Amino acid sequence: MCITRAGKVVYASQGRARVEFFDGRALDDVDVSVVNAKKGAFVEVFGNLALSILNSAEARRRKQAWAEVAKAVGTLRK
Amino acid sequence: MKADGVLFHAKHAFMPNSLGYCGPDEKGQIQRDLEGDRSDEELVETLQKFEAAYPFLKLIAKSAGRRVFDYSVPEAYWIGNRLLDLVPTSDFYSFSHHEIKGRDPEKVREVFRKLDGVAPPHHTFYVMSTYATAAVPDGPNITNEARRKIAEVVDNCRISWGTVRKVGKEELQVEVRRVNVDDGGLSLTRPAVKRVRYNPEVRPFGTVKAGDMVSIHWNYACDVLTSRQAKNIAKYTDSDIGLVNRLMKSEAARK
Repeated sequence: MCITRAGKVVYASQGRARVEFFDGRALDDVDVSVVNAKKGAFVEVFGNLALSILNSAEARRRKQAWAEVAKAVGTLRK
Repeated sequence: MKADGVLFHAKHAFMPNSLGYCGPDEKGQIQRDLEGDRSDEELVETLQKFEAAYPFLKLIAKSAGRRVFDYSVPEAYWIGNRLLDLVPTSDFYSFSHHEIKGRDPEKVREVFRKLDGVAPPHHTFYVMSTYATAAVPDGPNITNEARRKIAEVVDNCRISWGTVRKVGKEELQVEVRRVNVDDGGLSLTRPAVKRVRYNPEVRPFGTVKAGDMVSIHWNYACDVLTSRQAKNIAKYTDSDIGLVNRLMKSEAARK
C-alpha cells in the first residue's frame, strides 16, 4: 500500500525532486509542483506526489516516528 | 496458514513496493515468488516488513479471530468483506495512533470525530482519507492541474477494478472507473478503457480473458476477481467515497 512518508528535498528542478525520506530511502522523481517545494524543504509524500510542506518541528516529529517504524521493521539504512 | 492468502496479499502489495513507495527493498523476491506461485516463510517475512499493510492485517485478523494470512484477512483489507465490520472502532482508533506512526495524531482524531467513529480499516479508505486530510495548498482553490495530479495518485494508490476488454502480450485493456476530484469531493468517472500492465507468469493471468474482472494497483493487474469480490470492492469503495466526502465537507466548512 502507499503510505505517507516525510523527507527532505535534496534536489529540485521544474517541479520534480529527489526526496530523501526519514526511513533512509529515497525517490528520484517526486512531483513537488503542487506544493512548490524547493531544495531544503521538508515534504509529506504520498506515492510519488508531495501533498504538503512540513515545518521543522513537524519534520522532527515525523523523523522520530519513522525511526521507530523503521527500527521495528528493520528497514532503516544508516 | 493458507498459502493463497499470502499470495493474494503479495499480489496487491507488489507494485507499490517495486516502485519504491512502501515496504522493504526485497530485490525482486516478491515477483519471483508470485511467478513461482510460491508461498514460503521468506515471502511471509518480507510481507511482515511492510510498515502499514501488515499492521492493518494484524488488526483485522485479531478482531475477526483469524490468522493474519487467512485469505479473508488480506481480502478484507484490499477488496473489502464483512471482516471489516468486526473491527471495533476503539481498536482502529488506537491502532491509527500507535501503529501508523507517520500520520499526524491530530488528523487521526479529526477523521474519527468528524465521521462519528465510522472509519473502516480498508485500504481505499486509508488512501482517500490521507488525501482528504493532507494540507494541500490553497484548499478547495487548487488548480485544475493539481486536482488532476491528486486524482491520479489517489486512483493509482487505491485498489481499482474493471472488466478486461482485450488481452495483449504485456498489457490488458480494462474498462474502469477512475477517481475524479472536484468541488463536490471525490467520485468515480463513467467507465472508460485504460491500459494496465500484467504478468502472464503470475497465476491466473496465463489464462486471463476478455470479460474477467481484475483488481488493479498502480496500473498493474493484481488478481482476477470473483463476482462476489467485484461486488464487494464496488460496495466498499462507494462507502469509502461517501465517508471521505463527509470528511472533506467538514474540512471545507472549518476553513
